[in-house]
Amino acid sequence: MSFQLAMFYIFSAILVGAAAAMITVRNPVHAALCLVLAFFTSAALWIMMEAEFLGIVLVLVYVGAVMVLFLFVVMMLDVNIARLREGFIRFLPVGALVAAAMAVVMIMVVGARHFRIEPPAPAATDVGNTEMLGRLIYTEYVYPFELAAVILLVAIVAAITLTLRRRPGTRHIDPAEQVKVKREDRIRIVKMEAEKK
Amino acid sequence: MHNVYLAIVLAPLIGAIAAGLFGRQIGRIGAHTVTILGVALSCLLSLVVFQHHVIGEAEVYNAMVYTWMVSDGIRFEIGFLIDNLTALMMLVVTFVSLMVHVYTIGYMHDDPGYQRFFSYISLFTFSMLMLVMSNNFMQLFFGWEAVGVVSYLLIGFWFKRPTAIYANMKAFLVNRVGDFGFVLGIGAILLHTGSLDYWEVFGQAEGMARETIGILPGAEWSLLTVACILLFVGAMGKSAQVPLHVWLPDSMEGPTPISALIHAATMVTAGIFMVARMSPLFEYSEAALSFVLIIGALTAFFMGLVGIVQNDIKRVVAYSTLSQLGYMTVALGASAYAAGIFHLMTHAFFKALLFLAAGSVIIAMHHEQDIRRMGGLRKYMPITYGVSLVGSLALIGFPGFSGFFSKDGIIEAVHASQIPGAGFAYLLVLLGVFVTAFYSFRMFFLVFHGEERFRHVQHDDAHGHDAHHGHGHEPHESPWVVTLPLILLAIPSVLAGYWVGPILFGGFFDGVIFVLPEHDVLGKLGADYHGIGGYIAHGLMAPPFWLAMAGLGAAWYIYMKNPAIAARAHERFGKLYELLDHKYWFDEIYAAVFARGSVKLGSTLWRFGDALFIDDILVNGTAKTVGRLAQWARHSQTGYLYHYAFAMIIGLLVLITAFVF
Amino acid sequence: MSFPIPDLVPAIPEMFVLAMACTILVVDLFLKDDRRDVTYGLTQFTLFGALVLTWIVHVPEARVTFSGSFIADPLSDTLKSFIYVIAAGVFLYSRPYLKERGLFKGEYYVLGLFAVLGMLVMVSAYSFVTLYLGLELLSLCLYALVAFDRDSGRASEAAMKYFILGALASGMLLYGMSFLYGLSGSLEIPVVAEYLIANAGQFSVPLTFALVFVVVGLAFKLGAVPFHMWVPDVYHGAPTPVTLLIGSAPKIAGFAIIMRLLADGLGAMHADWQGMLVLLAVLSLAVGNLIAIAQTNIKRMLAYSTISHVGFLLLGILAGTQEGYAAALFYTVTYAIMAMGGFGMIILLSRQGFEAENLDDFKGLNERNPWLAFMMLLLMFSMAGVPPTVGFYAKLMVLQAVVQIGMTWLAVYAVIFSIVGAFYYLRVVKLMYFDKPADEPLPVRGLDVTVVMSVNGLLMVVLGIFPGILMSIAALAVGP
Repeated sequence: MSFQLAMFYIFSAILVGAAAAMITVRNPVHAALCLVLAFFTSAALWIMMEAEFLGIVLVLVYVGAVMVLFLFVVMMLDVNIARLREGFIRFLPVGALVAAAMAVVMIMVVGARHFRIEPPAPAATDVGNTEMLGRLIYTEYVYPFELAAVILLVAIVAAITLTLRRRPGTRHIDPAEQVKVKREDRIRIVKMEAEKK
Repeated sequence: MHNVYLAIVLAPLIGAIAAGLFGRQIGRIGAHTVTILGVALSCLLSLVVFQHHVIGEAEVYNAMVYTWMVSDGIRFEIGFLIDNLTALMMLVVTFVSLMVHVYTIGYMHDDPGYQRFFSYISLFTFSMLMLVMSNNFMQLFFGWEAVGVVSYLLIGFWFKRPTAIYANMKAFLVNRVGDFGFVLGIGAILLHTGSLDYWEVFGQAEGMARETIGILPGAEWSLLTVACILLFVGAMGKSAQVPLHVWLPDSMEGPTPISALIHAATMVTAGIFMVARMSPLFEYSEAALSFVLIIGALTAFFMGLVGIVQNDIKRVVAYSTLSQLGYMTVALGASAYAAGIFHLMTHAFFKALLFLAAGSVIIAMHHEQDIRRMGGLRKYMPITYGVSLVGSLALIGFPGFSGFFSKDGIIEAVHASQIPGAGFAYLLVLLGVFVTAFYSFRMFFLVFHGEERFRHVQHDDAHGHDAHHGHGHEPHESPWVVTLPLILLAIPSVLAGYWVGPILFGGFFDGVIFVLPEHDVLGKLGADYHGIGGYIAHGLMAPPFWLAMAGLGAAWYIYMKNPAIAARAHERFGKLYELLDHKYWFDEIYAAVFARGSVKLGSTLWRFGDALFIDDILVNGTAKTVGRLAQWARHSQTGYLYHYAFAMIIGLLVLITAFVF
Repeated sequence: MSFPIPDLVPAIPEMFVLAMACTILVVDLFLKDDRRDVTYGLTQFTLFGALVLTWIVHVPEARVTFSGSFIADPLSDTLKSFIYVIAAGVFLYSRPYLKERGLFKGEYYVLGLFAVLGMLVMVSAYSFVTLYLGLELLSLCLYALVAFDRDSGRASEAAMKYFILGALASGMLLYGMSFLYGLSGSLEIPVVAEYLIANAGQFSVPLTFALVFVVVGLAFKLGAVPFHMWVPDVYHGAPTPVTLLIGSAPKIAGFAIIMRLLADGLGAMHADWQGMLVLLAVLSLAVGNLIAIAQTNIKRMLAYSTISHVGFLLLGILAGTQEGYAAALFYTVTYAIMAMGGFGMIILLSRQGFEAENLDDFKGLNERNPWLAFMMLLLMFSMAGVPPTVGFYAKLMVLQAVVQIGMTWLAVYAVIFSIVGAFYYLRVVKLMYFDKPADEPLPVRGLDVTVVMSVNGLLMVVLGIFPGILMSIAALAVGP
């Protein structure tokens, strides 16, 4: 067993363990952190496969941005864990049965012997993974790439549509108005007669 | 020409739709204008077609217009087959229809259903044109049923009269019997040839003649004979041949223009046309031809006899129509298809004329239809009188009038025919001539000559008529919209006969109607044909003429000279009179056996089969079971997301285990 | 370094729709609420323009571009045309409803157009990636649209269910596709097809395994039992215009991806997926028709009816013959038109603060508006498959295809459940014609909506009497 293979199994084991932990731990914050760990190890696997760019992007985007956002949400929302667990336990036997059946089936079916993909030849050292990816994305896969972009656009539109609402009654500060304010707007000098005693 | 054919068919349809759906918007004048324009256009274009095909001797046109659907290789199409036969029929149909349209303006003047009526008759014209112009059995059947429907609607046009409702139901049911045979016939043909196209089917006629079919165990019949007889059963229904004739006299409940157009001139001749069109099939089946011949002869003679005792002016003409249809059928059976078609054409003119003239009389008599209450109308209605005389002379086959040529052709053809039953048929058609002349002139004299009985008749059934029933008014001639069509129809009633040479003997139907050499009776007659003059001269010598004269004379003597004879004969032959008066008891037997029998059968089946078994057990039982099942099954939709997801996973698992392993 | 420029011409309609959708998105920002009709007009213009462009760039031969991930052929152009027309009808029906409920916003149209774009991509997809992306684009828009009425709890719940189950199904589809990629070494449909043909007769277990996942993914998108659970909840929960959108045009796109994936790509495995589709069809016909009977809400009822129609659609496809595919296409288009009319009618009868979505709301419609009642009658007859409506022909053709491959029992089974189904369609007719109406006044509708509804209803009869037109289009699109 080469060092590389040993590393692969180590990372894989951590990945599977982290994924399993993520769906079993009680605390959602812990679960999110487990997911972060899973991301990290898969990034490591990517890098071992000479896909440095993907590995780095995984860390940057998912770990750096998405998961942090997730954590915010989880912490801000008050999720009733007890109720979730109740359902979990009630359906655990059936679920476990089905899951076991699935697992058996998949183990029986899935095996490298069926797949005809040759291990790719190691890339030439003078071409960066990033450049290769970029070139493919803008030539051969330009259509799917653009479609992915459209999907992201739709996601943004949808998110804004569903969440942005201007309630008529809310009080908010308009910075532009604030800047434009003059002295006269703030203070009004009123001359009054002295009060008679 | 393609567009011309299309226009001929569509013009009346558009008229019918306009008058039918938008009758209220376009009003009475609009309705009759648009329909008459449509039919006039059709008539004009039919003339063009006639010129193109008959005079211009253009190629036979056979083309598909639209494929409705294709199922199992059988093509259901709309298509036109235009040849001399079609061109002739188109001309007759559109011309008579046009005349009737014009006449209707006067006849239906005060009827509240004015627009509806115009819509119907235009729709009828469309249907009839579809029927005659068809190049395949499906469209033929469409036209067949469509004219049937319109006929049904029109017989019951005055739908508030119970008698009209009864009559139209009767017409419909009797025609269903015929149509049943017709559909089976088409089915038999389709079964063997796998095609609905005329020409393809005709091409295989000889093969069909050799094929046999076992309908009852142990009896093998020629497939072609079975198919032809079944088709002819359809024709018997539509063309009112014994024993499916019972609906036609009752159909006189409809307005008179309809009796002229549908129940005399065009629709009832559809059966004749169909058999002529199918001549390549019938020719190969002598048994079928014999059947046709005998049915026709029976109809021709015995229906004529009934005409003698009728007193309703329209019914007399109706029985005369039945009898004349019998003549046409006889011609078909004798393989003298051309003679049948020729008689069809001349009959269309003079019978439409007679009906419309009868209508004119009916108007003058304020909807009195009993000829015993008329008489002496000659001086009040000179035009009607004149055209009636022309029509009656044509009907009895007086030499020189159109009916003479066609009827003489048929009688001679039967005489020459060698088909089994021809001798019997010859005797009947010969006697029929006497009968025809007798009842025609009986009616003619009773209506137009003699005493003016309408003045004396005690109005014994006044309660049944309108209060303003005007005996105080003198009868007077009808307006021009009524008389003009009469005059226009009188012209061909005389002149159409002079065409006898080309149509019967001149190869008019070469390549259209197919006759085997051993059946070719007209060919035999044609050898002796030397021009019109000789034909008429020969007619003056022949027995039919003398029989006709005898009938005329007898009618004159009995009803003008010595009316006592009629009364005495009535007493003497009471039983015979009763038989004729009850039309051989056909109606009574049908009502007792078929109508009551099927009602009884139906009610029995209803009680046990329907109410108990089907309703309670099958229908309601199933419905209840299904309903319970549904109520139970709806609970599977719990609304819980994880149930849904779980169902999906289990479904996936089931699929995997079922199909992967 | 040089970039080869792909042939862009076949994709012009897609690019046009995308460009217009973005334009409308921006333009809408500058419109006041009372000028929102401009957005609507632009949307309809987009669909019309795309239709015209599709046929301008149409050529009879199939063209593949974008390195084998995009195809334009008669099938795609035909299906796209139907999608444009039906989407236009959907937008037209929706307008009065949205206006009355304060939902008349640009986003509805933008998301709608993006959904149309997703369908176009699906229809023209020639590789697994584009197919999947198109599906996701469509689904994402639909998820958002279902939740469009933010104040409705029912809509939010439906959207949530739809989203999660949809993600699950997408995952399965993707999983199956990844297997196919692993086995064949390509994402392109023709390459996969070649691989399968080369290995015909000795399919490995993982191949069937992958096939199951693909079929399940597709079954979910179409709403076949047992992957149908989302259908009633979503149809019921979503605002009616969105139900209208979900229920009509996407079925055509669904038919397209089935054609591309199963017929074109995995055609060599026909024997395998035929069995799966038989199972799905049998369940769909039974469950759809049976549960529909127990519904009192017409949107739910139509949702279950959709499920049963999907069963019929699958029957045509599982035949695996050209006739079967043509029949399925015929059925799909017919169904899309019927569904548009059915849901459109609910919109027509609804008014502010009142959803005509209960069966009882249709009581006595004939007395209140005979014409609309007649149109609804035609639609219901067509859905039930009563001749001479087009629904009858659609069913007939599918059954013919099934009988031709010797599965007469399946045809008989389908007919039996059609009869069961006829019950709840005819119940609507009975309510409209024989029951006493409630005294609710009917809303007054614009001429455009009424005209389109009349066309929609009469189309049922016209196409039923002249099925040849649509049938020849279907046969032409499916190819020899």
